Amino acid sequence: MISGFLDYMGRYIVLTEAEKAALSELLEVRRYDKKARLTDTGEVEQYLNYVVKGLIRKYFFRGKEQVIKHIAKEGSLLASSVSYFSRVPSSYIVETIEPSIVVSISRDNLEKLFESGDRWERAGRLMMADFLIEKEYWLLDTIRYSPRERFLRFIKEQPDLVQRVPQKYLASYLHIKPETFSRLKHLVESKNNILSQA
Amino acid sequence: MNVSSTKIDPVFFSFALDYMQRFFPVSPEQAEFMMELAEMRHFDKRTVIISEGEQEDYLSMVVSGLVRKYIRRGKSEITLQLATEGHIVHSEISFLRRIPSPVFVETIEPTTMVSFNYSNYEITLEKMPGADRIGRLLLMAMFVKKDERHYKQLHMSTRERFLEYLKNHPHMLQRVPQKYLASYLNIKPETFSRLKHLVKLK
Repeated sequence: MISGFLDYMGRYIVLTEAEKAALSELLEVRRYDKKARLTDTGEVEQYLNYVVKGLIRKYFFRGKEQVIKHIAKEGSLLASSVSYFSRVPSSYIVETIEPSIVVSISRDNLEKLFESGDRWERAGRLMMADFLIEKEYWLLDTIRYSPRERFLRFIKEQPDLVQRVPQKYLASYLHIKPETFSRLKHLVESKNNILSQA
Repeated sequence: MNVSSTKIDPVFFSFALDYMQRFFPVSPEQAEFMMELAEMRHFDKRTVIISEGEQEDYLSMVVSGLVRKYIRRGKSEITLQLATEGHIVHSEISFLRRIPSPVFVETIEPTTMVSFNYSNYEITLEKMPGADRIGRLLLMAMFVKKDERHYKQLHMSTRERFLEYLKNHPHMLQRVPQKYLASYLNIKPETFSRLKHLVKLK
């Protein structure tokens, strides 16, 4: 169950067996039904989660509207990150879409891990650099690509999510109006039909 | 020549150090190590420090002045960051990934920065005890700031963004051309003018 998380950290430093064992000690496996809340607004986020199975979203309410900030599937990390890193109350809700299994590390355990040696500090630095870059790309992409381009890039990169995620969530996540999203989706579907018939 | 780079003045470095210490502790040994490798860079106003497509070779902190980071979309420029004293500003993606910059970095006012070039950044990480930790905490602070700004953009109304920003940065209305501020806050120029008028009346 936890091997995925070990592999994730293995991107940053090649883990020895002893390091894998040390990290494993700090991890917790958590299971949730669909539509279950891992974190609520106002709570301090306790965990950084690696999704083993399932689908989880991070969102907040703007009035009655739900604004989706992130959707995480198998193999990716998710947390109410500002709350987790800065230990302030969460502005977001973290909630499953499908029944989910996550491998989680608490803030205290993550800090303990990084402080346990220079190699872990290095892994921690590289991981934070990745987080920063990923966020920057996300911000730039919402500016430099049109709704149509964002839609096409998304279905190319994560075609499975188009099937798994309710359309209104995807539209919100990609900052595309629901009407526009439907139109773009039809466009792509009719193209695929033409291609498959040919 | 509108840019010059010199060996760092200890007084200037101590400014930069004070700003760093808000985020993480720096020991006297670490401070001395970093001071040896830091450079002081001066730029005139309205100087492009890095253009889209160029390689970013510096991690920089503004010690005095005002710098704007932006991305070009068609003919318009979208302001991503307005950096004043104590702020880190550079093309993060280009610096960390060693790829051409997607953004521009340009001064608004005459600016002095404390900068580390990439090879000195690497030397620091390799040789200075505790460097990875400092790097991690610095990146974390940058990440948190970026995320919080994005949250505000999504969560607050135009009017709330305007009022909150001016409350926390009262001098920026004077220091920053209005079109850049409007773009930074994602407010249409017309709306920005109207909101500004509202504040003056109060």
